[in-house]
Amino acid sequence: MTTHADTLSEYRYKTATNRIGLWLFILSDAFVFVGLLVSRFYLFGGQRPELNQFLGLIVTSILLASSFFMNRAESSIVHGRVTAFTRNTLVTLALGVLFLIGVVGVEWQIAPFAPGDNAMASVFYTMTGFHAFHVLSGVIFLAVVYRNGKKGLYSAERHWPVEAAAVYWHFVDVVWVFFYPALYLMGRPVG
Amino acid sequence: MEEQGNEKLSQAYRVGIAVIILLAALTIGEFFIGSIAYNWSWPLWGIALIKAAMIIRDYMHLPRVFASSEEGAE
Repeated sequence: MTTHADTLSEYRYKTATNRIGLWLFILSDAFVFVGLLVSRFYLFGGQRPELNQFLGLIVTSILLASSFFMNRAESSIVHGRVTAFTRNTLVTLALGVLFLIGVVGVEWQIAPFAPGDNAMASVFYTMTGFHAFHVLSGVIFLAVVYRNGKKGLYSAERHWPVEAAAVYWHFVDVVWVFFYPALYLMGRPVG
Repeated sequence: MEEQGNEKLSQAYRVGIAVIILLAALTIGEFFIGSIAYNWSWPLWGIALIKAAMIIRDYMHLPRVFASSEEGAE
């Protein structure tokens, strides 16, 4: 006979296994971003694209704030607070959309170069574009988790999808922690 | 039991707040470094590494990966 304790123990075992798989994926994805960072320094070393540094600070702050709310959402569901979880997830999602608008909707439009202009422009659009795709997939993932949370599918004991969404979201934030200084702060600005 | 849960949740929230305050301070610091000195790459790398380490430890909970399945449930 299978008891509740048995199935919960089984769920925790599966979660521990899933966690290792998720982190392996994160590690392999990180290598792609490291490659992009290396290409940025290899191609234009002590120079950087002429970008609006204040806009860079704004979008970075938005992404960091989204990580704060995602952490709050995860902490809430770990303690069985479904309402706090859905509220914080929704704020995270909104900040993610705002970040995308800031980078793709504003930064790309005001940047003084097009993707094909030179190597620096190509690297800039590749780095921000590849990262933006990750943010977009994170937003979609968060929307699914939010909808499932509203339906009551998560509890203090069973919330692996929330943990996975949170870890993925924070990873996207960690990548930007390196991209922001590499693109906006390091090196002499070149138009 | 309920009170203990509330206390743990408050503690988790407090850690989250402390981390975001530090992240904000470091981000403002790197913004000023970047706007006054274009060749100060090493301090900027240092700040980025500290920020990444804080997010990985406190928000991504990396130590959970190395915990047993029962401990990781916390």
